[in-house]
Amino acid sequence: MSRFLDMGGYAAFVWPAYAVTFAIVFLNIIWARRALARSRAEARRRLAMRAESS
Amino acid sequence: MSSRVSSATGSVATRAAAEQGAASATVAAETAAALRAARLALLRDLQLAFRKRSQLVQPLAFFALVTMLFPLAVSPELSRLRAIAPGVLWVAALLASLLALEFLFRDDAHDGTLEQYALSGQSLTWLMFAKTAAHWLLTGVPLALMAPLAALSLGASPAALPGIVASVTVGSVTLSLIGSIGAALTLGIKRSGALLSLLTLPLSLPVLIFGARATELAMHGAPLAAPLELLAALAVLGVTLAPLAAAAAVRISLE
Amino acid sequence: MTWTWFHRLGSPPYVYALAARLTPWFAWPAALLIAGGLWGGLVLAPPDYQQGDGFRIVYVHAPSAWMSLMVYMTMAIAAAIALIWRIKVGHAVAAACAPIGASFTFAALVTGALWGEPMWGTYWEWDPRLTSMLILLFLYLGYMGLRAGLEDTQRADRASALLAVAGSVNVPIIHYSVTWWNSLHQAPSVMRFGKPTMALSMLVPLLMMLAGFTLYFVALLLVRLRGEVLSRERAASWIPEVLKT
Repeated sequence: MSRFLDMGGYAAFVWPAYAVTFAIVFLNIIWARRALARSRAEARRRLAMRAESS
Repeated sequence: MSSRVSSATGSVATRAAAEQGAASATVAAETAAALRAARLALLRDLQLAFRKRSQLVQPLAFFALVTMLFPLAVSPELSRLRAIAPGVLWVAALLASLLALEFLFRDDAHDGTLEQYALSGQSLTWLMFAKTAAHWLLTGVPLALMAPLAALSLGASPAALPGIVASVTVGSVTLSLIGSIGAALTLGIKRSGALLSLLTLPLSLPVLIFGARATELAMHGAPLAAPLELLAALAVLGVTLAPLAAAAAVRISLE
Repeated sequence: MTWTWFHRLGSPPYVYALAARLTPWFAWPAALLIAGGLWGGLVLAPPDYQQGDGFRIVYVHAPSAWMSLMVYMTMAIAAAIALIWRIKVGHAVAAACAPIGASFTFAALVTGALWGEPMWGTYWEWDPRLTSMLILLFLYLGYMGLRAGLEDTQRADRASALLAVAGSVNVPIIHYSVTWWNSLHQAPSVMRFGKPTMALSMLVPLLMMLAGFTLYFVALLLVRLRGEVLSRERAASWIPEVLKT
């Protein structure tokens, strides 16, 4: 296991590269869901406003 | 409607030929009108620019100033300056041309001239071509004429100057064309300076690369046909595509 | 008649529902492929004979670089379709692409630098691929900056679409000029990798990662697309319906 983590001496380069990439993979998921949630909340607010005014 | 009436009388073939002839005649007339409009727009821009001389001088002063920064920042030794001179010249020229872009459409957008252009029924593409040509004549050509002075101050030999003038002249055509798209896209955005550079600089990189290479070859007394031809190819591509894109961008901005 | 599917893509409620329905069909295969690619790349593949275990960065660098280019292409094509045929959904797709593409271009740059240090002896080498990638990042930032600068969505859509198309005309020219530039100034100290034929046990995980990231991109795009479509429809009658779920 420690041999695996050591990556033949390249651990300092391999693991940060994987960490950055997968951080971006997961952040993108969060960002995308948040963007959708924001649009939906915005649409709801507009609907509510229209319901009030009419 | 009229064609349907005539189809009852004339044969299809002669009607088609007549229509084609009429169409090509109107196309020719339209092109002539567009060219006339473009020439007028060009002359108007030049006249206006000569009334506001400060706008003409500022990019040139900026260019001279940026080239002056390098001897002060790097070293006054001509041998060292000579090594970085092509890069310095082109970066300074790129920035100076960028600086002048702000004037390209701003006043015309303010006073409604652009709107009039778009509504005039004349080809907006040709009018954009004229405006870009004016911009090039007012910034590109003066920069090309200034470049030898800057190059001499950075240690270029007099023999290199024609090549440097040629490369800046050709390269600045493309810079103006790319800039016209960026300026048209950012019309109406407040404090658009940083955005304009973010849009246009990445697209200008090929010009920078080929231009600096041409300048470098000229300073070494080597033949510089290859990069000059590439610069010319970029200019031709730009002339054919950029006015179309700039006209579309102006239309989008005016909507 | 075969074009009806194309026309239906012009209808926002159809697109919204379709995007919602399709998302899991891309997301789960993507997760499986990426997990399999990781296992294969980090555990099963043998160390490279030249680069040892350092070569394993390829399993994240190559997919990121692939994403950065593919997303830009998708963005430019969607923008062109939107401009030419005036299909609003095209604008929504293009707008959804930009942040994804920019973030993966950033990932490609960082992983490229982390790969460069052990292999070239420096984090940053002005290598044509890394340089082109950096320029691509600026193209994305310019696109996003223009969108952010224009408040009116319709104008932002059309102006940024024009920029994306103009940029895509330029990308090959930029890439060519950067390659040309690099061939003039090649530093002799730079180690160039020989191109050994990749062993199958190395290649298969890489292909799995590439396929997985592509599917993952589609899934992300579909999620973002729903938001973009929704925000472009001010007062459509279908909106209350989709907000119920």
